Amino acid sequence: MTATGTSEGVQRMLADMREGVLQGRVPARIFNDQEIFDLERDKLFSTAWCFLAHESEIPKNGDYVVRYIANNSIIVVRDEHGNINANLNMCRHRGNMMCKSEMGNASHFRCSYHGWVYKNSGELIGVPYFKEGYEGQLDKKQWGMIKIRIDTYAGLIFGTLDPQAPSLDEYLGGFQFYLDIYLRQGAGGSEVHGPPDHWVAETDWKICAENFSGDGYHTPVAHQFGFHLGYFPSSGATHSEGWAVHIPDKGHGIGLGHTPGMPPFFGYPDELVEQMRGSLSAEQIEVFSKTRTAVGSVFPNLSFLIQPFSLVPGEPGVRFCTMRLWHPIGPGRMEMWSWCLVPKDASDEYKEAAYKAYTLTFGQAGTFEQDDFENWTRVTKAAGATAVRDVDFPYVMGLERPRLADFPGPGYAVSPYVTDTNFRNLWSTWLDYLTREA
Amino acid sequence: MDEDSSEHGTAEQWPAGGALLDEVPRDGGVEGPIVIANEFADVVVTRVHTRNGVRLDIWSPRRGTRVQLDAVELDCLSYQEPETFTEMLERKPGG
Ligand code: FES
Ligand SMILES: [Fe+2]
Repeated sequence: MTATGTSEGVQRMLADMREGVLQGRVPARIFNDQEIFDLERDKLFSTAWCFLAHESEIPKNGDYVVRYIANNSIIVVRDEHGNINANLNMCRHRGNMMCKSEMGNASHFRCSYHGWVYKNSGELIGVPYFKEGYEGQLDKKQWGMIKIRIDTYAGLIFGTLDPQAPSLDEYLGGFQFYLDIYLRQGAGGSEVHGPPDHWVAETDWKICAENFSGDGYHTPVAHQFGFHLGYFPSSGATHSEGWAVHIPDKGHGIGLGHTPGMPPFFGYPDELVEQMRGSLSAEQIEVFSKTRTAVGSVFPNLSFLIQPFSLVPGEPGVRFCTMRLWHPIGPGRMEMWSWCLVPKDASDEYKEAAYKAYTLTFGQAGTFEQDDFENWTRVTKAAGATAVRDVDFPYVMGLERPRLADFPGPGYAVSPYVTDTNFRNLWSTWLDYLTREA
Repeated sequence: MDEDSSEHGTAEQWPAGGALLDEVPRDGGVEGPIVIANEFADVVVTRVHTRNGVRLDIWSPRRGTRVQLDAVELDCLSYQEPETFTEMLERKPGG
């Protein structure tokens, strides 16, 4: 059963998709469709743990950023006692938007409509004409801002609209092992470098989430300039090598690409490698030291990529790390946030070099970003075309591939890196949410 | 911590990491007015001289209000809990 209001056609498509994904088929229509968008809003984003912000975006008391879960605007703020809070960005009096800025610093929020004042942690404290107007009828304690349940992992702040949702720990389900490559670069962990790049794209969020669940397949073609000009230390001949790992039934997946002969931890400064040898587990070191590219997604729409990239063609690469949020705002339409994550303990020189490499590749005008969105926007367009409504795409790569028996990390790992294995898990998890009973 | 400071709370009781306590002022703002603004309010802060001393002038142009605080009053502000300001806003939330 899907939500009331879902047409029979879409209900049938989702029912058929259950078997279809196992056989390696996914319908094109899911990538650009109003009913699917509505179902995702009501059944997926209303229950999943969704990324809100990185702790380093709100380092000081009163720092806040405004973020979204589905169509809900949320203030993420560090209060006057240093604790992180998330509240709906809405005045409780008549529903006015509280913060209009995307980021700022405030000890109290004062509504621009009738002037109600809240502590930045959300409690209502000030009401104009409280005595004269309300005559003791208003209990301020009952009319604070609406709290959003949050939890954190290694600096990432997630929120969920579902009070019954399992813990974030359970939700991540072992994927933390792989997230550490992005979040524990060096002993002090990672921090954002500058504010995020933020723009609107005519692309369905799921195309991006899938791509970042380990689509190493597109890289030598879509990003061939990187290979040919010597920016990117991989070659078409060996690019399929590496691992693809996913967490079954959780939707999270990562591709870990290898370059034969590449020195361990290539592209990191030596002192960080030393620190990581102390702060990562032996299993993590075994996986991460061999990894050239780690491209992974936390279900549903938060992704990461770490890889070396040369600022000058032919020169040794610099490791950069990007974190991105693919936020749906309509069928085939999304708002994009893209951050550069740097190791907190690295030198300023290294942070700058990593930020440059990030900007050259995955900033809004970055070369990789342009290559990807060109393709993704056309995929989105095709998926919304009438003749494509009943068309399936093949997801059969690696269908018979055996699970690696001796892989050191958690989850379901296969080799080589080029495979649809992670994507089949992504789509069956997505389907679980969309067809779940209310 | 010595005996005296305990009545104002020890250093450990103050919010640590996020509380700006570790920031050394780099700009005293003596060249001109300092504007402190966020999306909820804006004030202009200046140092004003009397014949015999100095005060800090806080001016809220949108509201049209103004106050001059001397060193003792400012010192007193420096050891208030955040709740003190909440109480002030509770009494006079402003429009
Ligand atoms: S809507 Fe905010 S005070 Fe009325
Ligand atoms: Fe790409």
